[in-house]
Amino acid sequence: MSHNSSSPDFLHHHFHDVDQQYQTSKFGMWAFILTEVLTFGGLFVAYTVYRSWYPEMFYDAHLLLDVNKGMLNTIVLISSSLTMALAIWAIQKKNKKLSLWMLVITWILALGFLGIKYLEYSHKFEVGQLPGIFYSYMGPEVVNIDNPHIFFGIYFIMTGLHGLHVAIGMGLIAWLIYLTKKDKLHSDYYTPMETVGIFWHLVDLIWIYLFPLFYLIG
Amino acid sequence: MSNEHHITPLRTYLIIAGSLLFLTGVTVWVSFIDLGSFNIILAMAVATLKASLVVLFFMHLLWDDKKNLVVFVMSLMFLGIFITFTLLDTGFRGGINPEVKNSINSKASFYDNLPLTDTHGNPVDSHDNHHEDKDDSHH
Amino acid sequence: MSENQNINYLNHPKGIMSWLLTLDHKRIGLMYLFSGIIFFLIGGLLALGMRLELAAPGNDFVSNDTYNSMYTLHGAIMIFLFIIPAIPGALGNILLPLMVGAKDVAFPRLNLASFYIYSFGALFAIYTIVNGGVDTGWTFYTPYSTQSTSNVVPMTLGIFIIGFSSILTGLNFIATVHKMRVPGLTWYKLPLFVWALYGTSLVQITATPVLAITMVLLILERFLGIGIFDPALGGDPVLYQHFFWFYSHPAVYIMILPAFGIISEIIPVHSRKKVWGYKFIAYSTLSIAFIGFLVWGHHMFTSGQSVFSQIVFSFITYFVGIPTGVKIFSWILTMYKGQVSFTTPMIYALSFLFLFTIGGLTGIFLGAVALDIHLHDTYFVVAHFHYVMQGGTIIAFLAGLHHWWPKSFGKMYNQKIASLCALGVFIGFNGTFFPQFLLGLRGMPRRYATYSDQFSELHTYSTFWSTILGLSIFIAILNLMWSLRKNNKLDPGSNPWGALTMEWTHTSSPPHPHNFESDPVFTNGPYDYDKVIVEPTLKK
Repeated sequence: MSHNSSSPDFLHHHFHDVDQQYQTSKFGMWAFILTEVLTFGGLFVAYTVYRSWYPEMFYDAHLLLDVNKGMLNTIVLISSSLTMALAIWAIQKKNKKLSLWMLVITWILALGFLGIKYLEYSHKFEVGQLPGIFYSYMGPEVVNIDNPHIFFGIYFIMTGLHGLHVAIGMGLIAWLIYLTKKDKLHSDYYTPMETVGIFWHLVDLIWIYLFPLFYLIG
Repeated sequence: MSNEHHITPLRTYLIIAGSLLFLTGVTVWVSFIDLGSFNIILAMAVATLKASLVVLFFMHLLWDDKKNLVVFVMSLMFLGIFITFTLLDTGFRGGINPEVKNSINSKASFYDNLPLTDTHGNPVDSHDNHHEDKDDSHH
Repeated sequence: MSENQNINYLNHPKGIMSWLLTLDHKRIGLMYLFSGIIFFLIGGLLALGMRLELAAPGNDFVSNDTYNSMYTLHGAIMIFLFIIPAIPGALGNILLPLMVGAKDVAFPRLNLASFYIYSFGALFAIYTIVNGGVDTGWTFYTPYSTQSTSNVVPMTLGIFIIGFSSILTGLNFIATVHKMRVPGLTWYKLPLFVWALYGTSLVQITATPVLAITMVLLILERFLGIGIFDPALGGDPVLYQHFFWFYSHPAVYIMILPAFGIISEIIPVHSRKKVWGYKFIAYSTLSIAFIGFLVWGHHMFTSGQSVFSQIVFSFITYFVGIPTGVKIFSWILTMYKGQVSFTTPMIYALSFLFLFTIGGLTGIFLGAVALDIHLHDTYFVVAHFHYVMQGGTIIAFLAGLHHWWPKSFGKMYNQKIASLCALGVFIGFNGTFFPQFLLGLRGMPRRYATYSDQFSELHTYSTFWSTILGLSIFIAILNLMWSLRKNNKLDPGSNPWGALTMEWTHTSSPPHPHNFESDPVFTNGPYDYDKVIVEPTLKK
């Protein structure tokens, strides 16, 4: 059942018009953001409970993290959020070339984030600051504290799940680059870019909390 | 069609990104000043301010359909419920039976078998010295 | 009849691939329905096996280990593979877009993906059964679940995967209700089943992610010993219970809210009367969904959680009774002075009212800390739970199945057999589970394959009636399936019960592949029996 012969090809048959489709996709994405917040939320609860039980251990163990790398990653992720927003802005302004460039920069920044994360992780693997029973680091900073393996367990799970989201985001951004290049996305239809953008900013948003909670315990 | 969508001016994006970077600097700087329990409150306040900027401007919630804002606020509300009600338990254990509280927070037994290491994770020989230090600090 | 009028979603397009790759919500709903019924039968057989073991004291039929696996699998399969997906996935999928006058759900491809994610998760559950079961109980409490050598990981992984299916369905439904309604169909004119699915979906997308992360943490606890839930590693097993019940208490509302919705549809139709207190029912759905998030600690009164939180959780638990009571009274007042006809769906609906009220009231007993410490982990809890879940949800599911069967297939089942089965379910159910209240009060603990002689009379009684219950459900389902045979002459017409909701009034039964032959125009409220006269097309 078609509405009229002039309906654009990106409009799915079960929607009345383009605006309904755009608003529905966006609303669906926000509902998905809600599930994401609560997925991470469970881990934030675990963090809060254990930090309240082991305040000194959290303080001492956090000194083993590299604040500089954490801060650098914060800057990288905020910049990538900006370039993502600018990619949408450019396509709204019908500037395909700029939009493509912005997406590519976003992708590279995401890769940079994971690269820095890799350096951090590999150092922790070397010295044995690992989650759970694989923990083996007994350097002078930790000999007087109880159960640092719990701190590193929570650290690895939370940053790991976040890193997984960065990796998924990179896949989605690569898909956007493809769609934009093929002119599938343009100023009349950029819903995928808008929704992936929301997802990407969420990744930034979560890191905004992870950074002070792990690297900056006062 | 797209004319109906709000297009945020470029200037706004740049100002927001600048503020986010500035606030990141602030929160790192503040964390090195000892303010006691006020540190965590300040860190969370700055993080929440940053998060609000991201949500309202980068994620376009300021101009968006208000339903989307409601959904997002709902997620925070349920997270708040989860944290608060769990802390009602974990923060108030041992009211009747103190053992309930003390049974956790004890050191896992696998630490007894771990050799002491230097800062590179390599085992060190001065095992006994460290053990004495550790015992002293506990008493 | 021209050929064009014969086209419906069941026969167009044709071919197995057109079913497996369908984006049509009605076909996806049917795939959910049949896979759900298969798991219902598996879960039911496990239950009958347990009753057989419990018919007499001592290990006569299965060993203790097998029994442990049986109750765990019974619980996990019934909850995660049947009840949670069945009503939203099957009836919800088929009916929601029709009820709001949409051509499909908001995200049809996501809907299909959701079904396949469910199937993929179900494979893990089947693997668990074949590979020797899992013995932790469906709650997977730590620290035992971190140590048990049975198939904890495959089963929890399956539940983790099925969780995503549940989330995607919920997300789809919420977007559909918000954005896909036909013009003129405002919130207060929505059928109450839609309100119920909306409330359910809100709980699904909010609570299920926490289940996912809980299962991940449990699996990591087993592989890495992260210590978060393990007291030997400085962690806290009670924290696992908080995580688990933050999902699983709201999950009982995922299970019961759609059942409320079905009952709210059936009672006005079969009483020929406008629903009493529409807004009360609609808002009580939302408030149950919300309050359901604040009471999870009442499952943990004997866990060693702080006394302070016990008081808070117990206190808030009573508030669930208010919106639930509002619903019960609204349904009764709907029937008052109506033309109640005792059709099969109505017999199920009346059983629901009776059984759910018992289930709800015994829930109030269990909400009191002092009483719960006595009744915790006894058959009283088992009986309460089954009065709510089977007497509530499953009976409502059967009611809905019989009510919308002619809608979905355009065929009528044998109503005499169906009604007899409905009575058999009611009697068999009470015979099975009422003795369990008494057993629980006398101290019979749950999850044991054997018991002392003093309990044997009530157990034997319970086992006897469970066979009647099982047989009635089995024949009821066979009777439905039998109606699908080619030469079934019973023609229900397009609106057999004379209902006023859009799925009956605006399209044929079974519906057109695109739901409505032309863009539907919203005409009357869903329960305007005082304004609109509509004759049932079913011949008496």
